[in-house]
Amino acid sequence: MTFFSEIGNYSVFLAKVFNKPERKRILFKEFKEELIKLGINSIPIVIIISLFIGAVITIQTAYNMKARLVPLYLIGYLVRESMILEFSSTIVSLILAGKIGSNIASEIGSMRISEQIDALEIMGVNSASYLALPKIIAAMVFNPILYVFSVFIGVIGGIMAGSLGGLISVTSFIEGLQFHVHLYYIAYSMIKTVFFGFIITSIAAFYGYNVSGGALNVGKASTKAVVNSSVAILIMNLILTQLILN
Amino acid sequence: MINVVGANKSFGSNHVLKDVSIDFEKGKTNLIIGKSGSGKTVLLKSIVALYPLDSGSVFYGDTDITNLDSKKLKNLRKDIGMLFQGGALFDSKTVLENIMFPMDMFSQMSNKEKLKRAQFCLDRVNLVGADNLYPSEISGGMNKRVAIARAIALNPSFLFCDEPNSGLDPTTALLIDNLISEITKEYQITTIINTHDMNSVINIGDNVTFIDKGEVAWRGDKYNIFDSKNQHLQDFISPAMLIRSINR
Ligand SMILES: Nc1ncnc2c1ncn2[C@@H]1O[C@H](COP(=O)(O)OP(=O)(O)OP(=O)(O)O)[C@@H](O)[C@H]1O
Ligand SMILES: [Mg+2]
Repeated sequence: MTFFSEIGNYSVFLAKVFNKPERKRILFKEFKEELIKLGINSIPIVIIISLFIGAVITIQTAYNMKARLVPLYLIGYLVRESMILEFSSTIVSLILAGKIGSNIASEIGSMRISEQIDALEIMGVNSASYLALPKIIAAMVFNPILYVFSVFIGVIGGIMAGSLGGLISVTSFIEGLQFHVHLYYIAYSMIKTVFFGFIITSIAAFYGYNVSGGALNVGKASTKAVVNSSVAILIMNLILTQLILN
Repeated sequence: MINVVGANKSFGSNHVLKDVSIDFEKGKTNLIIGKSGSGKTVLLKSIVALYPLDSGSVFYGDTDITNLDSKKLKNLRKDIGMLFQGGALFDSKTVLENIMFPMDMFSQMSNKEKLKRAQFCLDRVNLVGADNLYPSEISGGMNKRVAIARAIALNPSFLFCDEPNSGLDPTTALLIDNLISEITKEYQITTIINTHDMNSVINIGDNVTFIDKGEVAWRGDKYNIFDSKNQHLQDFISPAMLIRSINR
């Protein structure tokens, strides 16, 4: 019951967001600011996790291959595929849901309780659109870029762990990277990240926008935003994988 | 001219506005006074349709704001300036950006014109040297004055102020009262002011409505308020009488 009414309210919110943007010039200005806040500022965390995961996948794969008679260059191949297919799209998005999602929900939520959203409405501004649209577009534009970043950094992490740990030479690793390249997989993952960007920002904005009461509820909204957008990402991942790869 | 007719508003079982009917005149400062919790803020927010009424109407001229579609409501609101009780400044924007925001959104002014207008509004609320500070970096009273400057930035036809001078020192409070009164007369604005400051009543109370527990308990002006026979109103103004008695 509450689930369906929540979905209903979310749809109403989205209708308001996409109603008709306020002045295009202002939308663009806010969009540029959000690119920095949501995109550029997320690069450090994406670098750190991708570097470590690339390294760990390399070590694990090398460990598992020791006893078997498979060529070592497959390590490079596997790291590349893991990053391209799931890690850099879905897992990175889940982490961004935590970082960006809680940030957006608490920012908009505190604007709600301090009457800033009322002030926007009183001026005749479509507050939902003004606040959420630049964030949604910025994330949809920047997420694929973060994805590409993550893949590259993951591979670099793999190369470093492989050569520093004496597990695989740089040349074999690179040979593996060039093995069976499917550009289609990259396209599939990039499309996913665009959807995930939409999910993270719109769900977080929705929970922030509908905060009522005091500061305590801002925290609650931010938790809800992270949990629900993470679940939505996982479900969307399943749906898109079915649709695109079948 | 704004007419509130038979307004009722409840939050759950708390019946806050009880059949409120008031006429607010154009070009006059219309004051709403009442004790804390009597429903002044709820009334003001209902007048601008931030809270939907349970029953009753609010007419701006011939237009009933309570049943406008969202597009018409937006258009009407572009003509409204509002000061919230808490200021409600945008805390990601500087003082100057806050005041320029309504102009950025709705006017065709050039950047230079906007700056000039913003400076003019800041001068009128007697605030200098705070242009590039953020709301968190200025005092409560300064917050209030910036919010007033923002409310009058676009020359509204309707001006609503929820306790414009609470938290201000007496001199600045007087200045703000006079400012609101001046622009009300100068531009023939329909102005509604919530207050519990008796100084404001005596100074600018063209029309005064006393609200008691959500009901209109008395209506009059600054000249006849001290003659009122309403016991609750007398209780409300008696602290002000105290100052008068000292004066004598
Ligand atoms: N959003 C809300 N939800 C539920 N109850 C509310 C809400 N806003 C106000 N109330 C209730 O309405 C009543 C009137 O509140 P209101 O804020 O209008 O008082 P006020 O006259 O403005 O007081 P003050 O002078 O202290 O600002 C109070 O009992 C309050 O609890
Ligand atoms: Mg109030």
